[in-house]
Parts: sequence; C-alpha cells; structure tokens
Amino acid sequence: VRWKAQASILVAAMTVALAAASFARAATPEECHGLRKHGHNDQAKACFESLTQAREPAIRAEGFWGLEMYQDANNEFRQAVAQSPANANYRVRWGRLMHERFNNKDAADLFQEAIERDPKNAQAYLGLALVSADGFDNKAVDEAKKALDLDPKLVEAHELLANLELEDSDTQAASAQADEALKISSEALDAMSIHAAIEVLADRSPEEWLAKVKQVNPTYGEAYAIVAHHLFLNRRYDDAVAYYRKAIEADPRLWSARSELGINLMRLGQEEEPLRQLQMCYDNGYRDPATINSLRLLDSYKNFLTFRDDTSIIKLHKKEAELLLPYVQSEVDRSIATYEKKYKMKLPDPVQVELYPDHEDFAVRTLGMPGIGALGVTFGEVLAMDSPSGRPPGTYQWGSTLWHEMSHVFILTATNHRVPRWFTEGLSVHEETQVSPEWGDRVSPEILIAVRDKKLLPVAELEGGFVRPQYESQVIVSYFQAGRILDYIQDRWGLDKILDMVHSFAQSKTTPEAIQENLGMSPDEFDKQFFAWLYEQKALGKMAASFDEWRNRLKDLAELAKDKNWDAVLLKGDEVRQMYPDYVEGANAYEFIAEADMAKGDKKAAAAVLTEYEKIGGLSPDALKELASLEQEMAEPKEAAATLERINYIYPIDEDLHRKLCDLLFDQNNLPDDIRECNAVIAMHPLDQASAQFNVARAYFAAGRRDQAKDHLLASLEAAPGYRPAQKLLLQLEDSQKGK
Amino acid sequence: VDLALVWFLLSGVTARAATYYVTVAGLGGEPDYEQRFQGLASDLDKLLKDSGGDLHVYTLSGNQATRAHIDETFATVAQQAKAEDDLVVILIGHGSFDGTEYKFNIPGPDLSGDELASLCDKVAAKRQLIVNTTSASGGSVGALKKPGRAIVTATKSGTEKNATVFARYWIEAMRDPAADVDKNESISALEAFQYADRKTANFYESQKRLATEHPQFEDTGKNDPVRAPSTENNEGLLLSTFTLVRIGEAQREAADPAKRDLLAKKEELEQKIDKLKYEKAAMEEDDYKNQLTAALVELARVQQELDK
Repeated sequence: VRWKAQASILVAAMTVALAAASFARAATPEECHGLRKHGHNDQAKACFESLTQAREPAIRAEGFWGLEMYQDANNEFRQAVAQSPANANYRVRWGRLMHERFNNKDAADLFQEAIERDPKNAQAYLGLALVSADGFDNKAVDEAKKALDLDPKLVEAHELLANLELEDSDTQAASAQADEALKISSEALDAMSIHAAIEVLADRSPEEWLAKVKQVNPTYGEAYAIVAHHLFLNRRYDDAVAYYRKAIEADPRLWSARSELGINLMRLGQEEEPLRQLQMCYDNGYRDPATINSLRLLDSYKNFLTFRDDTSIIKLHKKEAELLLPYVQSEVDRSIATYEKKYKMKLPDPVQVELYPDHEDFAVRTLGMPGIGALGVTFGEVLAMDSPSGRPPGTYQWGSTLWHEMSHVFILTATNHRVPRWFTEGLSVHEETQVSPEWGDRVSPEILIAVRDKKLLPVAELEGGFVRPQYESQVIVSYFQAGRILDYIQDRWGLDKILDMVHSFAQSKTTPEAIQENLGMSPDEFDKQFFAWLYEQKALGKMAASFDEWRNRLKDLAELAKDKNWDAVLLKGDEVRQMYPDYVEGANAYEFIAEADMAKGDKKAAAAVLTEYEKIGGLSPDALKELASLEQEMAEPKEAAATLERINYIYPIDEDLHRKLCDLLFDQNNLPDDIRECNAVIAMHPLDQASAQFNVARAYFAAGRRDQAKDHLLASLEAAPGYRPAQKLLLQLEDSQKGK
Repeated sequence: VDLALVWFLLSGVTARAATYYVTVAGLGGEPDYEQRFQGLASDLDKLLKDSGGDLHVYTLSGNQATRAHIDETFATVAQQAKAEDDLVVILIGHGSFDGTEYKFNIPGPDLSGDELASLCDKVAAKRQLIVNTTSASGGSVGALKKPGRAIVTATKSGTEKNATVFARYWIEAMRDPAADVDKNESISALEAFQYADRKTANFYESQKRLATEHPQFEDTGKNDPVRAPSTENNEGLLLSTFTLVRIGEAQREAADPAKRDLLAKKEELEQKIDKLKYEKAAMEEDDYKNQLTAALVELARVQQELDK
C-alpha cells in the first residue's frame, strides 16, 4: 500500500513558516489537502492550481504535486532546497514526493539529510518508515516508533504502525494502533480502513468502518485498496481482486490500486484484463517497477506455449517446451494424484503451472510479496516457478519445487486461503521429503548458525519469520523450522492431526488455537517438546555446536585437495563429512573424498562416497554423472540409470544425459522411459540428428510401433544416408514388412 | 544449408594426402591457465598420434612454445610438406588485439598474426587450416586469411578478450562420434566447428554467464568471417572438405578393386539422395518420402553387400 501524502502537521507548519513571506494568501497546502481528503476534488484542484502561483518554490511544489505534475513539483522542491539548504522540512516533503513516485532510494537519502539537519524531525523518521515498509523491512516498525517518540500525535505514524502490525497478523496490536490514530483525529481514514481490513480478514462485515470512511470522503478508494492489500498478503487473491475493483470504482484515478488489480488478475492466470488495466496505468504516467515489469512479462507470453488437459494448464517457453513437457506433465499429474488421495479432495479447476527460463520473468511474479521462496510461488490455482534452465546446474531441483508449490495449491484450496504462511510453507517443505528423502532443502550453514545461536522462533511467532524477517537468512531458516514442525507432527501424531489442523485453519483458527485444539498442548509446551526433538534429529544440536570447527576443517580439506595430497584427504575427509553430513553444496567433503579415491585408483570407494552424496541430496550433475559412469563400469546399469534419472529433476537441459539414459534404458528393455529419453535428445535439436533419430526408431521398433520407427529411421538416414546402424534397421524393417 | 552435394564432388581429391599438424599452447600467465593450456595441447597431441593415418604431429607448449621453436617447427614442416598435403595449425592460450595487430602470447616475444601468416606462407601445402582458439582471436583473421586457407577463431572480434573455452570443445569434437553428423566416419573441420560452437554456447547458457566468445570462420580468403556455413558465398565449403581425423573403415573400402562397382553404385545413390533432399521443398510430402525410402533402402542393400 502506498500511503497517500496527506495534509499533515508538517505541511501546516511549513505553511505558517512561509505565510509571512507570501503575497498570495488565498490558499494554503493544508487547505488544499483538506479539500481533497473530503472528496471535494474539483475545489481541491483549483486550490492546488492557485498554489502554483505562489512566490515560494516549496508552496509551488505542493501545488504541482497536487495537480500530479510531478516533474514540475520536483523542480520546485529542488529550488526550495537550494534556497534554504538548512530547511529539513523541505527535504522531507521532497522525499515524500520521491517516495510516491517510486524512487525510494532518493527518498531515503532526503529523509536522512533532513534528520542530519533536524535530528528531532518526526516526519523524516516517518518517511524512512514508509520506505522500509515498502520493502517489508523490519526497520519500518522501529522508524515509525521513533517518529511517534518525537511526535506522539503523528496520526500517520499510528496508521502506518497499524498497517505493519496487521501485515504481521497481529490483529490486536493493529486495532490498538488504529484506535490511537482515531483518538487523535476522528477523520483518520487509513485507521478506519485498517479496521475494515481486520473485519474482512475475520470474515465479518466491514461496512460499519467503510461507511465512516464514506462519511468523510465518498471517493476514498484507498480504503478498499488497504483491505485488498491485506487480503493479498493472506493469499486471498479472488477477494483481493474484488476489493481492488471497489477501490477503482470509488476513485478511477487511483492508479496504484488499478495496477495492483492488474497484477493480481495476472496471478489468477488472466492476461487480457491485466493488460488493459496495466496499460491504462502506464498511459496515465503510473510507471512503477511492478507495472512496467508486469507489462513486459505479459508481452513475453507470446514466447510461451500452453498445454491443457482436464487437470492442468502448463505454460512453457517455446525454446524448451518440447524437451520439458514430458517431465513437467508427468510430475504435475503425479503430484495432483498423490495430493488428491492424501488430502481427500479434488481441485475444482485445472492448475496452471508456469515455468520461466528467465529468472527475472519469474521474479516479476513475486514483486511486492514478502517471505516468498526464490524458486516458486503459488497464487490459488496458478503456480509459477523457475524453469530448470533458469538456474545454474546443481543449484536447483525443479521437481522438488513443483511438488512444494502443488502442496500449496491443495492447502490454499482446502482452507479457502485461510491458513498461516508458516503452516502451508511447513507442509510444503514436509511434502517434498515425503516424495523422496533426497528432495527438499538440506540443513544449510545459515540454518546451522541460526540453530547454534538459538534464533529459531516460537511457533506462535513463526509467521513473522516469513513476513518481516529480523535477519538476512530468517526466511530460509523459517522454511526449515516450519518444515521440521510438520515432520514432528507427522512423526508424533500422524497425518490425521495435520489434516485436523488444516480444518482448524479453514475455520479461521489462530496458530495457538489450532495447536491447543488438535495437539492438546499450549504453544509454549509444543515449542519445548519440538525443540527437544529437533536437536536430536540427525544430531542437529551437535552439528550446530561444532559448526565453526567443521568450517575450519573443511577449509583445510579443500587446501589438501588443491595440493593433490590425496592420502591426507582420505585420512581426514570422512571425519569432516560426518561432522556435517548434510553439507552437499560447493566444496563439500563427499566430492573431495571421491576425487581422492579416483586419484588413488579406488573406483569402488569413489562410487561408495558419491552414492552417499546422492542419497543425502547432492545436486551436482557432474558428480552424479561421474557416479553413473562408475556404476556402469561396475556392471550396475540399473543403478546408473537411476542415478542419471535423478538429474532429470535437477537439470534436464543436457543432451549427453539423455543420450546416456537412452542407451541404458534400451539395454534394460525399459521401452516407455527409453522412448521418452531418446525423444528428449531430439528435443534438444542435436547436431548429430542421425544417431538421435536412429535411437528413437530403435526404441519404437522394439516396442512394435513400426510406423513411428520408420519415420524416425528416414529422418536419421536423411541426415546421414550412410549411417550403418540405421541402414541395417531399415532393411530389417523392410524385410519384416514383406514377411521375410 | 546443404554442403553435402559439394562435398561428394570434392571428397575424392584429398584421399591420399598427408596432414601436418602444428599445435602451440602459449603462456597461461597463472598456474591454472598454464595447466589448462598444456593439458589441452597434450590431449590433442595424443589424440592425433593415436588416430593413425599419414599424420605428422608437432606440439609445442610451456617453455617450448617460444618464437625460436615455432620458427624451427615451421621450417621443418615447410621442408617436408608438399602442395597436395594439408597443414593444420592450432593456437591455444591467450591472445591480444590492440585495434590493428593481433598477438599470440608465448614465452619471450609474442607472435603476431602477420608473423604467423608468413610462417604458413612458406609451407607448400595448398590447403591450410588455422584454428586460433585464443582470446581476441577474432582480431587475427585479417592478417591470416587468403584463398586456400581456412581460419577458425574462438571469438568474433579482437575485442572479446576473456579467456575462452572453445579449444576444449574443438578437441572434444575429434573424439566424440556425435560430432560426425553425416556418419561418414571422419570428422571434418566444419563438423568440429559446429560441434564446438554449440558446446561453447551451451557452456555459457548453462552457467548463466554472458557469452564472451562467439566462434566464427572464414574459408574463402575473400569474405568477412561468418558464424554458419552458406551456399550463397561458399563459406564453409573448404572446412567441410578438411578431414581432421578418420574414425572408421571408409578408407579400406576405397582400396578394394573388387568392390569398385558397388562403390560406384553407392556414390550414385548418395548423389541421388542428395538431389532429392535438395528438391524436397518443391515436392509433395508423400512423393518425397516414397522416393527417399526407395533410395535409402537401395543404398542400405548396397552397403550390406560392401560389408560382406
């Protein structure tokens, strides 16, 4: 929510200061803002026009700003500041203009400059809080409180705090702050709007509060936009769209709400209306990054292909659709079937699954959303994620992410979007490892550090770890903790209790209520028992305690490997590995040990340690391919194929991978999978068309699909007429058709 | 682009010639690159020496890759190579380009593009191939190009100055049967180029890095370098006839007089297939498919006889 610049004490103070020097006393900025606040828009416009004739540049700036002539306003503020460099208030107002016009960096600089000139300037701190709030930065709360320390009657600061508290799902605190604002000003519109939002979120009627808003200003669309913003944050996208529509109905020129309407419609899988709404914003000068990037994303959809069936709509980029579709379709179908059975429900509509090869396109999908995983996001029945080609090989397991997001689709549907983020994220993380223990995130160093430093949150406060993180990696740590909480509930009470909690959340129960009712204990008691269980799991407590020592030893191991001191690597490697077995990221002990084993010629040992790496969830395609080669050498073709098939869920954009699988699976007479893999080679448009087409023909021939075999054989021989294996198969095919 | 038809007309010409390979791995500047360049040169040296055929392989790397040694090597080649032989020069390492002059970084004074051209000019072999895989190698084309000499560079200009990966894939092409796209059991310079070009692009794409090398070639001696072969200006024609290594038994068949008629029939059918492919766009799909199938089946039967 972009908080509107309102008539404020600051403007009043500034007006008084300037009035003495002014010849044009017909209007003041305060009066103009007052007219606008009460919905007298024509009079307000005339009022602002009169301000543009004032002698003082700061007053003219307010006039131009009110008339939406932002460049002129900017120029006037620049002049005002040049004329009165010591004036903090001019910088604050200029900063607010910058903030309103999407330039938070310059806005923050101006607020800081104002504080340097006037350390007790409450409005400057409020400005900083507004900038921080835009980025869901935890500093927003402290800055707003600082503003209130300096000026306890600053209505806008109370309103901002109310908004921040509600973003953190603390309804009581939000309500209290809104009441504080209303005590100071009975016309605090945003405070009333926060109250309306609280009612809507609790499925109660907001009409009483909205009627109060209308009494002050019947065209105050921002009230509905504030409600919509909170609905969006609570993943109630349909409801958010309905309120954004009300916002622009009340004030058709409320471009921020119109832009949000467009973006939220995109999140629901629509394209035509979002394009219309966003284009209208753009054409009217509302060109914030979200609007521009969303328009760009809509434009890029011409490069995507859409595949529909009864349960899914899959959107893939043209350049990789042919390759990825079989894998994506298979996982979409499998995940839907699994969750339907598990959660005992069917989705009402097909799920839309979008894979973006350009991470920036995917990132547009998450703009303005707090605590969102960097790899995938779910909006109701639309699921967007990075394509495997959107990340460097070995850094991303798209299959795991798809199952994670699909779990959200089911839980959001089951709870009618009334589920705390911690629970749905935790369940999704939990579900990843239910598909395969190798899936899901490993215990990363930042998680170990958080465990070591006792930074995990009580369950009743875990939501804050997602929405307004207090330290850089808190979102990642919160994902981990939430996932482990769901693991714990399943371990101790079973799946039914998880489903019971889902039902409780569907009835808008709070986290403490859901825990008390379903698990029969207070959240505090739950925390106590959960943490005890967690620290025992995989000796997490021990791992965390020895983290610094492990890090030093790993560094030493890396040096030994660099110096090719293989005996020493083998001597010390296993101890390092055992201190922190989950560490499979760059420069891990598994790969150092395997390299040493290979250097010493012990392929069996290398295969053994790489198998450990594979089982614990190692993702490096190179390491896994090396393991597959070793397994092949050791006459374990099934294991080799299984190892290579894991890479399909990590980085399937690899011709060599599919060629190897194509050969291995053919040898194992696994023809359905073989056909998929051999076709994957063709989908990569290989230079060597002849062998690629031949391999598909060979599989089809073995499967008795002779017409398809012949088509591919012709394609093979068309590329290379003298290709012997294809020639031989062609004769075999011809002879068999003639009954020879 | 279909250069296959032309290839058949030219393929017999080079059957018996010797090939002289001169590989030079220049200065790495730092241990990592030093090791990498020497490793690549050594891999190529082994691969060529193991491949059999009438190959004369000279490899200079590390401290050996000085101007004096390069001069000596070229003098030896110039003394031995005949006009009908082939010369293949491969440069691995760092290069630089100051806007006018390309230089290959070697221990001691660097080797300029003009100096390399002059060394190659002294070799009688009429068909020459220079594969310059260094950074900024695109800047060397102007100095090196002349009719009868094909130039391959790892970068599209002298301004692409980052270390390259093209050499790795060029060498890989010579041992990967997948590079033999026409399955004639030999790797041509054009096949190696297309293989290495694709692998280089894949490398940058998979690493999510902006590509800092764009391989190109020029083999007419009169055009600007290009990134893909074309029948319009004949770019790629010389490369397509330049056999780098043979990986099969194609040569043995040619030497057997008892199979001469079958070979003639085989060649006739291959030309018929090429002609069909050339006319594909103007034919009905079924007609094309039927005629192609008939010719391919016949060719397969001829090959079956040849293999007996």
